[in-house]
Amino acid sequence: MLRRRPFLIEALTAIGLIAAPFVLPYLGFAPTTINRILVWGLFGLGFDILFGFTGLLSFGQSAFYGTGGMVAAYLLTVVSFPHVMTAVLIGTLAAAAVGYLIGLIALRRTGIYFAMITVAIAEVFYFVEFNPLSRFTGGENGLPGVPTPTLYLGFTTVQFNTDWSMYALLAFWYFVGLVLALRIVRSPVGAVLSAIRDNPLRAAAVGHNIHSYKLTAFVIAAAYAGFAGGLLGVMQGFMPPDAFTFDTSGQLVMQTAIGGAGTLFGPLVGATVWLYLSDFFQTTLHIGATWKLVLGIVFVLLVCFLRRGIVGGLQDLAARFTATAREAVAPEEAPVLADAAPDAEIDAPPHRRGGYSGPILEARGLSKSFGGIVANRNIDFTVEDGELRGIIGPNGAGKSTFFKMLTCELPPTAGRIRFEGRDITGMDIAAVCQLGLTKSYQVNQLFTRLTVRENVVIAALAERRGIFSLDLLRRVDRVAGLDSQVAGTLALVGLSARAGTRVAELAYGEKRRLEIALALASSPSLLLLDEPLAGMSPRERAETVQLLKNIRRGRTLVVVDHDMDAVFGLAERITVLHEGAVLAEGTPAEIQANSQVQEAYLGGVAAL
Amino acid sequence: MVNWPTFISQCFNGLVLGALLALISSGLTIIYGTLGVLNLAHGAMFMLGGYAGWVAYTYTNSFIAAVIVGSLFVGLVGVVMERAIIRYFYARPHEDQLLVTFGLGIVFVEAVRFFFGSLSNIVPAPPGLGGITPIGFMFYPTYRLALLGIVAVALLVLYFVLYRTRIGIIVRAGIEDSIMVDALGINVYRVFMVVFGIGAMAAGFAGIVNAPVVSIAPDVGEAILVQTFVVVVIGGVGSFPGAVLGGLIAGEIISITSMFNPGYSYVMLFVAMTLVLVLRPYGLLGTAGRE
Amino acid sequence: MSALLEVERINSYYGDSHILFDVSLRVERHEVVALLGRNGAGKSTTLKSLMGLVRPRSGRIILDGTPTEHLPPHAIAALGLQLVPEERRIFGSLSVEENLLLAGFSAKSRWPLERVWATFPRLQERRRSRGTDLSGGEQQMLAIARALVRDPKIVLLDEPFEGLAPIIVRDLLTTCRALAEAGLTVVVVEQNISAALSLASRAYIINNGHLVEEMSTPDLRRQPEVLHRHLGV
Repeated sequence: MLRRRPFLIEALTAIGLIAAPFVLPYLGFAPTTINRILVWGLFGLGFDILFGFTGLLSFGQSAFYGTGGMVAAYLLTVVSFPHVMTAVLIGTLAAAAVGYLIGLIALRRTGIYFAMITVAIAEVFYFVEFNPLSRFTGGENGLPGVPTPTLYLGFTTVQFNTDWSMYALLAFWYFVGLVLALRIVRSPVGAVLSAIRDNPLRAAAVGHNIHSYKLTAFVIAAAYAGFAGGLLGVMQGFMPPDAFTFDTSGQLVMQTAIGGAGTLFGPLVGATVWLYLSDFFQTTLHIGATWKLVLGIVFVLLVCFLRRGIVGGLQDLAARFTATAREAVAPEEAPVLADAAPDAEIDAPPHRRGGYSGPILEARGLSKSFGGIVANRNIDFTVEDGELRGIIGPNGAGKSTFFKMLTCELPPTAGRIRFEGRDITGMDIAAVCQLGLTKSYQVNQLFTRLTVRENVVIAALAERRGIFSLDLLRRVDRVAGLDSQVAGTLALVGLSARAGTRVAELAYGEKRRLEIALALASSPSLLLLDEPLAGMSPRERAETVQLLKNIRRGRTLVVVDHDMDAVFGLAERITVLHEGAVLAEGTPAEIQANSQVQEAYLGGVAAL
Repeated sequence: MVNWPTFISQCFNGLVLGALLALISSGLTIIYGTLGVLNLAHGAMFMLGGYAGWVAYTYTNSFIAAVIVGSLFVGLVGVVMERAIIRYFYARPHEDQLLVTFGLGIVFVEAVRFFFGSLSNIVPAPPGLGGITPIGFMFYPTYRLALLGIVAVALLVLYFVLYRTRIGIIVRAGIEDSIMVDALGINVYRVFMVVFGIGAMAAGFAGIVNAPVVSIAPDVGEAILVQTFVVVVIGGVGSFPGAVLGGLIAGEIISITSMFNPGYSYVMLFVAMTLVLVLRPYGLLGTAGRE
Repeated sequence: MSALLEVERINSYYGDSHILFDVSLRVERHEVVALLGRNGAGKSTTLKSLMGLVRPRSGRIILDGTPTEHLPPHAIAALGLQLVPEERRIFGSLSVEENLLLAGFSAKSRWPLERVWATFPRLQERRRSRGTDLSGGEQQMLAIARALVRDPKIVLLDEPFEGLAPIIVRDLLTTCRALAEAGLTVVVVEQNISAALSLASRAYIINNGHLVEEMSTPDLRRQPEVLHRHLGV
């Protein structure tokens, strides 16, 4: 789509910003309205990165908008700081710093807790601004007398003191803000943020420190808010105290949802609708009091019926047209894995073994209880390098819990786990994945709004860039070695031809293979597979067994599955769990001959 | 400087405010616990209760009628809101639920502003409860004393409904596992509707009984909503005892801080919330796994 | 008279994952039927489909003459079907008595509280204890009692003996047998096959989501190789 053509969006935006002053007045927009739209649009760029791209809905952005604005206005009025834009940038830094501290608290929780905490924080800032800090902020009077910036060009000095010169200034900074936001969204960080929005659990499981990334998004949003707040004071020549109100945060949320979250332009479009209607109701219809009521109703209807907002709705419409056009041209043939896979050569990872030569995984005395119920009891489990181990066990044997402990998704109640000689007990799941131990899930954990390729990119990025990296301005496709790694992984699981397909459109068997691909893309030296065959048709099972045979070259695998034929056909050694403990371990033949195992599976029938 | 009578009377104010917050927060928390929806329009429910009661009062001149109409009207609004809109959001993401309830809150506030204007209105205290009453070494507004009793009774009624009736058993079971409740043969969607009605009614009741203390205006719900959030975060989401404990803590913090400097009351509230988040992330009486 | 429960070629999914393939069953009145199979075979999904917790994408389920495949769980329960789920799903914050009151006692129920206490004396002793404080065996008794209170025509037991000590299994088995003799219709899913067969008169075997065998218990006992083939290792 548009993203493939570099700088198209940037160019169109520049044209739009240049054309706006010539077009919009004819549609009934006053120059001051257009300027306010730009400030809200800029404010919204950061918020959209936080809400639309990362999935964190904050009702507290007014805190940072107000902080940035007040710091800049204070410097320019009370301190008489000479340079206007520098003061605005200092305000931005202050807002970002405050955002960092607040983020540390608010991001301790997610979902509704996050929303409630941000509301509370914004209210605190409002009261602090009004009362304890009123000496600095002017309290309910705000800070009047904010100077307009000047630009010295050598031969002349430009004063941004008219509405249209102010427009030029704001349009320039909006453009800078947009270009930056686009860079961020297209960077590896942006990719990880959208992964967090879709499936935070899996984003962590493939090796990203999601807390740091969320904090990054929070600080970015705070910085944009602070910058927009500074420009607000400059634009109006006065920093109003109501920048701090809950209404400000609410208006931002509503404008973004009306325009369309996750589009970057949503807030701008939403602000346009909002401010235009507000003017229209007050100056044309003279029913000023009702405009917010009407907007509220429009907003509720939009949330009910057009969740992606105006821009999102237009995108969906466009996508539908292009999709029908493409389908008419060439229906794609889905390739069969068995043909594609054997040709695909991907180097198995010569992993970070660092001279260690013992067993790759060693668990000693692993136990787990939930409340009074013991799920796992004193399990000793050793896997040698290069092995393919099967784990079986009747229902309730504790296999899932055991797997979760091995990947550090759950802390054990007792016992230690060593991976490649290193004690990993109590580490977090992302760190363990970075060491080279990961898992594919029994129930698909995919990034459902992304394409197949983007899914694999998320996992490969963790391997390429480490647990956390702030390469905000680098393009994703500039990450060294990423392309070949993603292509290799896709070829290995036979999904190369489906790379551009969105996850929602995949068949179940394809989703299962993508599930395995996510684990593979982080180049694990030890891969745990939790029921890779679950829910598959016989043909899909055969294909997946073939896939497991392909990927085992150079890797160590542990497979849990209910499909006895598959496990006995694949594994060299089998561990049998029963009632939370190890019942037996041995070659497939030994296990089949083991009377205790038969007894466990046949539930006493052997004794009949 | 702070003297003892002022301190005691502020503690009393804190108790009254705390009880009120406890009642409103209970409504919010049982709705969230059972339905999984955080109702950002809950503050507006508080405001609507005040207005509905005020309208009833202007027609009947009866405080009792005002309380009954105020509570019932808001309960009805809650039921209609659940049937008409909220139930379509059970399967949608949390953000959508937040957005739609936030929008509904604005619609309620603006609708009231449209019909009744922005100016505040007063519902006088019922006859016999005006004036001040001497208690020991200080004088205290009579209605506030009565309010403490009224809200305490309302909390007890809510407790009785939740812990001593079958509907209460169903609500508490629904907070734990609403699917199993359904599988046992209880129409859980009807329960959801009732819970939304009861939760809204708690806020509406608080709105009207508080009207003689703080005059009603379209935006009174906003501050209440924020305080309610702090209460729920402190007490633990989905817990009735947590809402009561959190409400009392928040009420006292606000009142006692206000005695020194009202500007810091929210700061202290926020400090308390942060402490709880750091030390007990799921709230004082909450349990893990509710997000 | 037709069968109490008839299942015709249902296909059930978890998300996109196809779990049951054209499964058909018949349960007569006052009959105890066992549903056997390895784990992951689809036994629990079958029971959940009957309860309406998983909605089959195709096929019919007829309970006492009424099609139920499109009904919500509470409507299916109202027709007289109860599920005792594998995880028991006792309400931990409610007392034993509240767990029972929740289901509600109608005046004409054949299971008034006194009869529950008589059948499960242990529960009466612990009537004030919260669900979380019960042992596994007590939780299982409570889960069964909670289902009976609704006076069901048919009860689905999902792994009732899982994780219980042998002595408790024996007690519970005695209780279940008494219930069956009193005329309760039961479908039981159980890993402990000897326990299941000691209750059931007939068994279905399910493998990878397909129904593969249907046999009477005496026939199964005569041909243990059938069990070995489908359930063994």
